[in-house]
Amino acid sequence: MAGEAAESQTVLVVGGGIAGITAAVEVIETGYDVVLVEKSPTLGGRVAQLNRYFPKLCHPTCGLEINYQRLRSNPRIRVLTMATVAAVSGSRGRFGVTIETRPRHVNANCTACGDCAKAATTRVPNAYNYGLDTVPAAHLPHAMAYPMRYVLAPEVIGTPEADAIRAACKYGAIDLEEKPRRFDLAVGAIVWAAGWKPYDAAKLQSYGHGRVPNVINNVEMERLAAFTGPTGGKILRPSDGKPAKRVALIQCAGSRDHNHLPYCSRICCLGSLKHAAYVREQYADGQVDIYYIDIRAHDKLEAFYRRVAADPQVRFVKSKPASITADDAGNPVLHGEDTVSREIYDRPYDLVVLATGMEPSLAGALPAKLAVDDYGFLVPELDPGSGMFAAGVAQGPLDVSMSVQSATAAALKAIQAIRGAGGHAAAGRA
Amino acid sequence: MSAAPAAASAASAGRRQYDLGFARWVYQHVEGGDKVAMCMQCGMCSGSCPIGTAMDHGPRKLFMMIRAGMKEAVLTSNTIWNCTQCYNCVVRCPRKVPVTAILQSLATVAVKEGYAPTQSTPKFSKAFWLSVARFGRTDERLVTALYYFSHGLKEGIRRALENLPIALRMIKAGRMHLGLPHRAKGAADLRAILAKAEDIERAERAGGKPS
Ligand SMILES: Cc1cc2nc3c(=O)[nH]c(=O)nc-3n(C[C@H](O)[C@H](O)[C@H](O)COP(=O)(O)OP(=O)(O)OC[C@H]3O[C@@H](n4cnc5c(N)ncnc54)[C@H](O)[C@@H]3O)c2cc1C
Ligand code: SF4
Ligand code: SF4
Repeated sequence: MAGEAAESQTVLVVGGGIAGITAAVEVIETGYDVVLVEKSPTLGGRVAQLNRYFPKLCHPTCGLEINYQRLRSNPRIRVLTMATVAAVSGSRGRFGVTIETRPRHVNANCTACGDCAKAATTRVPNAYNYGLDTVPAAHLPHAMAYPMRYVLAPEVIGTPEADAIRAACKYGAIDLEEKPRRFDLAVGAIVWAAGWKPYDAAKLQSYGHGRVPNVINNVEMERLAAFTGPTGGKILRPSDGKPAKRVALIQCAGSRDHNHLPYCSRICCLGSLKHAAYVREQYADGQVDIYYIDIRAHDKLEAFYRRVAADPQVRFVKSKPASITADDAGNPVLHGEDTVSREIYDRPYDLVVLATGMEPSLAGALPAKLAVDDYGFLVPELDPGSGMFAAGVAQGPLDVSMSVQSATAAALKAIQAIRGAGGHAAAGRA
Repeated sequence: MSAAPAAASAASAGRRQYDLGFARWVYQHVEGGDKVAMCMQCGMCSGSCPIGTAMDHGPRKLFMMIRAGMKEAVLTSNTIWNCTQCYNCVVRCPRKVPVTAILQSLATVAVKEGYAPTQSTPKFSKAFWLSVARFGRTDERLVTALYYFSHGLKEGIRRALENLPIALRMIKAGRMHLGLPHRAKGAADLRAILAKAEDIERAERAGGKPS
């Protein structure tokens, strides 16, 4: 197809996490159009749900905010939230993409004043906090939402409460009639950046997540430590709100495990070192035990490991715990073998955090014919001539900086794909 | 274990014994033994074992000892005999190491190699085997009697008398019968199969395989 004019020089980016946002920004700033399709009501992805980033422990707003600015000021971007790709046809330069959207029931008139939330009486699980608390049926997805616009939970649609919510809005932003939509777009290249979901900790049967009180997973720990989380940033245990001072962090919970995820998710060791730092910042008398097989702090992240390991109140126990039970005081008790001393231990803690890994979001639900590896991650260089590329955790377990790098690479390849399809004349026009 | 060095001198000097060919031998000759190479020393097995504290080494450490070539220590370990074959470790092992089969197979090897275990588990195994090989079934009376008397005549009588009241109650309740042991239908065929298996094993051993 080289030399043929591309019917479309628009790049479709699927997924509005840090990788998708980065790819979109890179493409629009090069002078091409982007449609960014995001499944949830807001951009930001999992990064927006982190308390802080390793290795520098900065807040996720830095990183997201600058990128939002770049999106906001550029007319070449079209952001579709609550939207997914249902089907893809055609080939490089001339894809036909079917988009499906769910109704938000709040239109662009919304000023985020919050009057609708005050009128709502129903509370729904707060997805932002992984269901650790609830929000009113009319709510802002989170403080770093893009677009900065409320959303109505489908639970109240068709009830008198919905009418009350509509009446409360001074700007006429509530649209109770909005229906799901399905429409087609023509695009020239596609960047898949649909990211990851946490491995379901309930599958780790002997660890009792959801059964033994005060056993949580690592993404929940991020929310517990965050100011915008269910406890206002205090690390308290869920069962009784007691300060969680004795904390066990279990590495490779379901990772590098042929019964679960056979691969290493690469970021959980660093994630847990960060969690140790969260606990120690809050509690001078805190004690954190990290149960590990081996600590994988790759290249430059070794420095962060050293920093945390220098704390005498952070202990490293070389052991994959066998099981967790509850004692009479509601403490989770870890059972296992210390592989250095060969002690068979039974140790109670205030809180146990399972460092679960990242599973590809698209695994088992690919909307197009895409090459995947044994674990369901997209092969980064999908067929080079295919005009489809992968970025971020959709292509493998990466941290934020590596996701951003891969997104920049994917953006470049996408531009080359549409330029190649249209020949150099197309580039001249752009 | 053809390559096993003479143990006597070094052992008497109180030094550890290392047989560098032992790991490879285990990989090739022990059921599931090749999977020992898969073990990542996480401790899930030993931590999951219901009798973990009753084992001198536990499976994880034992696998490291195999890889280190500690043949003597491995084959005299109580870990291979104390395993109850509950399979807790097997279902949880992240590397799918067939721990139970390996321990069991190591116990068999240990006996063949002439290692006399210190506990009574093998005595029970022998009694069990005798009954099954002969009748195709386990006969409670035969197995218990053989097991009790394997501890010597005096101990056999003592244990038999101690358990007599239970036996009588079981007979009364119809849970234990009097008369000849029950036989499986094809007991004779089973004996022929076992004899053939022994032949094959003997031939293999004669064929230069490590004994
Ligand atoms: C506990 C934990 C702590 C971590 N801490 C750090 C840290 O401190 N520092 C660091 O560098 N990294 C950290 N990471 C890793 C970091 O979260 C990832 O690198 C990052 O989220 C990758 O971004 P992404 O855009 O590829 O994916 P995501 O953040 O998952 O974004 C993907 C986006 O795609 C959307 N989407 C999903 N499916 C579809 C679909 N079908 N159609 C349209 N859109 C879809 C999602 O809603 C989401 O918005 C941590 C990970 C964990 C598990
Ligand atoms: S559970 Fe499996 S991998 Fe872990 S130490 Fe035991 S045998 Fe090795
Ligand atoms: S099968 Fe044996 S070694 Fe494994 S857990 Fe059970 S008793 Fe322990």
